[in-house]
Amino acid sequence: MTTILIMTFTGIVLIGVLGFAGRRKPAADLSEWAVGGRNFGAVSMWFLQAGEVFTTFTFLGMAGLAFSGGVAALYALPYIPIGYMVLFFLAKRLWALGKERGYLTQGDYLEDRYDSKLLGTVAAVLGVVFVLPYLQLQITGLGLIVQLVTGNSASGTLSMIIGSALVVAFVLWAGLHGVAMTSYFKDVIMLVVLAVLLVAVPAHFAGGVSAMFHRIDRLHPEMLTIHAGPTDQVWFTTSMLVSAIGVGLMCLPHAWPAVMSARDPKVLRRNYTWMPLYELCILMPVIVGFAAVLVVKPGTAANGILLTLSKQVLPSWATGLVVVAAIATAMVPAAGILIGISSLVARNIARVRAERTQFWINHGTVVAACGLSLLLAIFRPDLLANLLLLTYSGTVQLAPAIGLGFLARRPVGKVPVLAGLFVGELVVIWLTFWEKGLAGNVNVGLVGLGANLVVLALAATAERFVARNASPESESDEPVAVTA
Amino acid sequence: MLRPYHLIPAVPALALALMPFLPFVNTDGLWFGLPRMLVWGAAWCVMCTPALLLTERLMSRESGELAETAAITEGD
Repeated sequence: MTTILIMTFTGIVLIGVLGFAGRRKPAADLSEWAVGGRNFGAVSMWFLQAGEVFTTFTFLGMAGLAFSGGVAALYALPYIPIGYMVLFFLAKRLWALGKERGYLTQGDYLEDRYDSKLLGTVAAVLGVVFVLPYLQLQITGLGLIVQLVTGNSASGTLSMIIGSALVVAFVLWAGLHGVAMTSYFKDVIMLVVLAVLLVAVPAHFAGGVSAMFHRIDRLHPEMLTIHAGPTDQVWFTTSMLVSAIGVGLMCLPHAWPAVMSARDPKVLRRNYTWMPLYELCILMPVIVGFAAVLVVKPGTAANGILLTLSKQVLPSWATGLVVVAAIATAMVPAAGILIGISSLVARNIARVRAERTQFWINHGTVVAACGLSLLLAIFRPDLLANLLLLTYSGTVQLAPAIGLGFLARRPVGKVPVLAGLFVGELVVIWLTFWEKGLAGNVNVGLVGLGANLVVLALAATAERFVARNASPESESDEPVAVTA
Repeated sequence: MLRPYHLIPAVPALALALMPFLPFVNTDGLWFGLPRMLVWGAAWCVMCTPALLLTERLMSRESGELAETAAITEGD
């Protein structure tokens, strides 16, 4: 136990030190800090983009999902390649627009494309509200990991405090360069650990991967199919579709700094071409999670399955490495999310003109957002849990606005987009908190998106009708050709 | 402008999206000692990369041809 504890806290400090080492020179402005001066090459971009995908959810959640739902966990396999195939076509234009118009955030893009500060601010507020629970999830995950392997809640709390403090410190010090540096470490240790677990766990409990699945096929064949129940085909397809739209149209605000930081669009396109192969690594925790079907009592808390199996199979020093890898999958994405949140607040919510003031507001937001998430993770871990349900289904309501913004001549004005967004969010919130069973197994984000598009189309039609009948002098928000 | 080759990546995308609805995939029994859904999903994930490489090649070939045509026309 002492070995695991020592390795755990050494790992947390090592990640912090690597984050500090990422800085080459002091960031002169927010652009240098948040998007690395738009000068990231292929390798840095690769790990930054992969860093958004491999989080505590991938590492611990996927194994837990395989244990509780069998192959239903595979919904997470297709959505990233599908999203990246969309980005393969869009990234070049997005990067060129960002470079030309100076975008740092999702809010910058929407504000510029629709010539609407209100839309930029609304998108930024929604982004912060829906992504803050995702930040808290990473911090809570960090504490849960340490608590699970040590059996001591105090060490879990201490690890959350130290981890959060180090993340804030290296993010303030090094910005996106720090996130890139820690991403290298995170991916390497995570892949090594998962490869070891992939061999060791099935071999220990069933004599190998193939033997394990033959036993599952004989004893629990229902785990190998998507069948009627809460995770049926409708759930699988609609959840995958909402997630794919979210990735493909960059609906999560913390995805923007990584794309905007590329040296040139060829780097992005090359990464989107090869990234689907890298995503196969998601299958490793899934296969490890299947081993738990044979040896762990049904109904056991699913999120700790991977660590529970590790403790049973590996010596304590190796379990310590697993814990360090799991902590890295919490700390590094948390750092990326912090940059996404703080730049949204500084650029699209606070709206100060002076660059220096903007920079300090950004840094203040980093401290405030991480501090708030840490306090909630310690004292009220359930408070934001409901909002976490909205992270994907809520942010995906920005998809029509982002998608239509790519067109050189945008077919709708800001009013229809805002109307659709408002109705979409209302539908999602209503179906998530009040009429929970109404949508059945259909992902509520998709239902909201349907309502969003219907309202957008109706409002756009009304807008054109009004514009056509208005006198030539009157101003209207009719569709216009926008720059580039 | 949308070209037929822009739809090449749609093939693996559809194969991935429809996997729970394919009766020979969404069934118990194994392929190569692994769940069928897992094998099908992994195989089509792998296919995404060649699909995108082929699309990029066709896109760059067309843009090269367009540049060549423009140069010939200019040589007005």
